[in-house]
Amino acid sequence: PAPGVSLRLCSTGGAPGGINKPVIERIIRVDHAGEYGANRIYAGQMAVLGRSSVGPVIQQMWNQEKDHLKKFNDLMVAYRVRPTVLLPFWNVAGFVLGAGSALLGRKGAMACTVAVEESISDHYNSQIRTLVEEDPEKYKELLQIIKQFRDDEREHHDIGLEHDAE
Amino acid sequence: KMAAAAAGSLRRAGWRLWRGRAVLRCQLSVPQRALQASAVLRRVSDEQHKEPLASSSQQQFDSHPADQQPEQEPQGPRPSYTGQGGQESEDYESEEQLQHRILTAALEFVPEHGWTAEAIAEGAKTLGLSAASAGMFQNDGSELILHFVSQCNTKLTELLEQEQKQVQLGEAEKKPLDQFLRDAVEARLRMLIPYIEKWPQALSILLLPHNIPASLNLLTSMIDDIWHYAGDQSTDFNWYTRRAVLTGVYNTTELVMMQDSSPDFEDTWRFLENRVADAMNMGNTANQVQSTGEALVQGLMGAAVTVSN
Repeated sequence: PAPGVSLRLCSTGGAPGGINKPVIERIIRVDHAGEYGANRIYAGQMAVLGRSSVGPVIQQMWNQEKDHLKKFNDLMVAYRVRPTVLLPFWNVAGFVLGAGSALLGRKGAMACTVAVEESISDHYNSQIRTLVEEDPEKYKELLQIIKQFRDDEREHHDIGLEHDAE
Repeated sequence: KMAAAAAGSLRRAGWRLWRGRAVLRCQLSVPQRALQASAVLRRVSDEQHKEPLASSSQQQFDSHPADQQPEQEPQGPRPSYTGQGGQESEDYESEEQLQHRILTAALEFVPEHGWTAEAIAEGAKTLGLSAASAGMFQNDGSELILHFVSQCNTKLTELLEQEQKQVQLGEAEKKPLDQFLRDAVEARLRMLIPYIEKWPQALSILLLPHNIPASLNLLTSMIDDIWHYAGDQSTDFNWYTRRAVLTGVYNTTELVMMQDSSPDFEDTWRFLENRVADAMNMGNTANQVQSTGEALVQGLMGAAVTVSN
């Protein structure tokens, strides 16, 4: 006879208590994948346009993305979140996208940056909304980080527009 | 009304005396735990009956058992559960908690009866319940095995947590990675030793399709725990590689242990040592392959440039 209540079996997890684990895990995993991909995009762009006049601009944006990635690496370890299994794919796809768009010239590279940063900041915005709906106090630190990153990405978007228009 | 209340109280008192006698007959388990179990079950059944009784007389009866044996936290790890919302109070035990206690008690009888409903029935009897409560569980013993695995994993995590604290306090040396992994896997596998005769049966049940999600979940979280306490902080594909490798080491060592008849399973631990050493070398081999690949590519590029000139 099938049991009325099925047993819940779980080994102990290690995250700070009281948080909505699945939501946080997904947020961190997706953001980590996003920053990783953005890193690879800029790497691809630098590989082609590194020595051109727009090189330093791309380099600076790339450095900021590296900081973002580092922050998410730290968060990933702290919350014991597993990285996405598609990382090798994002590795290649990001680089190809960056290099491909750069081969179209600096306008192509900037257009790519604008598009990518636009969708990233939309994505961060919806995450901020989710966290605020859940509990702004509990997730204060994470919210701060995501807000800061969203502002950085908007800045990249604006820089891209500036250089696209020139 | 008073007569009805008194009659109700007497009925419950008789019920408790009967429980008490039944418990005294069962010499197997710790009497205190069994009495506590029956006390808990009493309250569970009281709540179910919902007798509209004056609270004062109920408290009178409840105070007597409380004098005789003080309430203790049940032994063993408390399982996490979603809870029943507002119904929780100090003396209310959820069905899930009760099931966990029955299964824990049933483990004692596994060497004799295997992972079966008989073992669960025997376990239930030591808690002062009727053998029919084994009907709460599935017939193939799946829940008993999964409960045991979950319990072992929890024990392992507690052990690793303790060791980590000792290292942090400076009371112990930090182990090199291969020794850490060896010790963790050995500690976990040693928990199987009392049940080793019946463990092959358990393994085959864990591989049944309807058990695979649960058993896989338990396995992966155990491996993840071991790597976490080993200090793994990888955030790239290594995360997966390391866990896959350790899972392979654990599973093969477990199978070797089933066939091992050496004293204290020393053949198994030697096998484990070799497998962990292989795993360590795998990292080096991967690096070597990558270096060789890179060198090859450079050589080819050089050759291409030379030829094109």
